[in-house]
Amino acid sequence: MSDPSRERQELIEAAVTAWRPTAPDGRILDHHAWRDLDAAGRIEAFDETLRAREVEAALDPQGLSGTARAVLGRLRRG
Amino acid sequence: MVTDLDHHLPAIVAGDPDAFGRWVAGAERRIRLSLRSFAARVDTEAVVQETLLRVWQVAPRFQPDGRPDGLLRLAVRIARNLAISEVRRARVDPVEVDQLERQALAWADAHLARAAEPDPLLRQLIARCRELLPDKPARALAQRLTAAGDRPDAVLAEEVGMKLNTFLQNVRRARQALLDCLQSQGVTLPEAP
Repeated sequence: MSDPSRERQELIEAAVTAWRPTAPDGRILDHHAWRDLDAAGRIEAFDETLRAREVEAALDPQGLSGTARAVLGRLRRG
Repeated sequence: MVTDLDHHLPAIVAGDPDAFGRWVAGAERRIRLSLRSFAARVDTEAVVQETLLRVWQVAPRFQPDGRPDGLLRLAVRIARNLAISEVRRARVDPVEVDQLERQALAWADAHLARAAEPDPLLRQLIARCRELLPDKPARALAQRLTAAGDRPDAVLAEEVGMKLNTFLQNVRRARQALLDCLQSQGVTLPEAP
């Protein structure tokens, strides 16, 4: 039997990642997990992302978060 | 101490992505926080990334106005405009769009000048806390960090031999364990204002 609160937490965690799909024209798109969350879940994902990026930056030798690394990766790949 | 991130501008204009990375390290949190009023309506992670890409593109044409953090202020405007475009595209009630915009502007007026103070102990402590993580959360977190947003979690989970839901639970456990460990040593991450 599925546990709705665990499923919700997994959905939030899935939305926290810095990975985002890209449109054919290069635009960065919404994460499908974010779309599946209700308003309260999206706000929770925002706050969790804020904490996650602080942790990532603190663990990174250059102080860069997953977001920063993702963007720099896109720039370097052209 | 408040630092003006515009000191990175000459190198950014010269096309140095490392300098842009240093600027992003100081600017990202404030750009993200400026979008909090939109969090239930737009995927702010996508907006933050799109904003940073646009800042890189427009930086060579940016004219400082003499006040500190000009490029950051521009970035916050770009982020707000992108978020407004997204909520309009989603056919959100115009009254609500205006309200979201007003909240974002009020946040920027109140908080933009406050640079997040990096805690000199944080990096040291968090590295020690990381060593204490159990194996599976440690592996999941390491995978997320190494991937740096270039692969979806389904791929990362497969790479470490975990089911996607197990991988997500382990990443969450790892982060929570790090935060608990930091807290036990008297360090808490700054909350959103």
